Amino acid sequence: MSSALSYAIWALLGLVTVLLWARSRAVGPSPARPAVVLERLATGTILRLVLVLGWMWAGWHLFAR
Amino acid sequence: MPAADQQQRGRHPVPNKTIAWALVAAGVAYALVAANTTAFTRSANIVTGLPIIVLAVLVVVRWPLRTRPLELDPVEAPHPWRAWVALFAAVVVWELADYAARGSRADHPTLSSMLDAVDRDDVLKAFVFFLWLYLGVAIVRRGGRRRGRGPSRQSPPAPTGVP
Repeated sequence: MSSALSYAIWALLGLVTVLLWARSRAVGPSPARPAVVLERLATGTILRLVLVLGWMWAGWHLFAR
Repeated sequence: MPAADQQQRGRHPVPNKTIAWALVAAGVAYALVAANTTAFTRSANIVTGLPIIVLAVLVVVRWPLRTRPLELDPVEAPHPWRAWVALFAAVVVWELADYAARGSRADHPTLSSMLDAVDRDDVLKAFVFFLWLYLGVAIVRRGGRRRGRGPSRQSPPAPTGVP
């Protein structure tokens, strides 16, 4: 498998993210907006711990290590 | 923007625009400082560790001990999370597939390796660091006590003149 395929799939996932975000702004039955998704995660009993630890790990992994 | 409109859109009202802009400016400045550090150094550890400690303190101070997960009206939004869960699952699967694949990281880029490339540019690194800080602030705010969410769950507007 070449890197082109891998990058293409990453680009596709990025495009889907943008389309999903745009769809979430539409009127009517639609996916929740990203802010609402974040609030759902931040108010879940276990999910909020996972969210905070994930944020901490991501920052440390990306910028300090 | 009126407070009722902000609640309608599911946002927390900003108490003071000046404070908000000052925080944004401080975040940008901090991100620029962080962008000039190098990974695996003490300075990078300190600059990255400080927001982590601050967030941990804010979460303990601001978040309620017992929480009630956010629920949306099933009539207005029958499957609000499904598409996001599916997208997250796809990202995780592809990240793991690339991570486990044989060959160089250039042939099988992961999110980390792509962001490493971004981090080589100071301005882009500052931008990514700022996004990380912004997400941390959003997490703290969203996990705090809710003050009204949408038309069907909206709490009465706060009286004017009360801080």
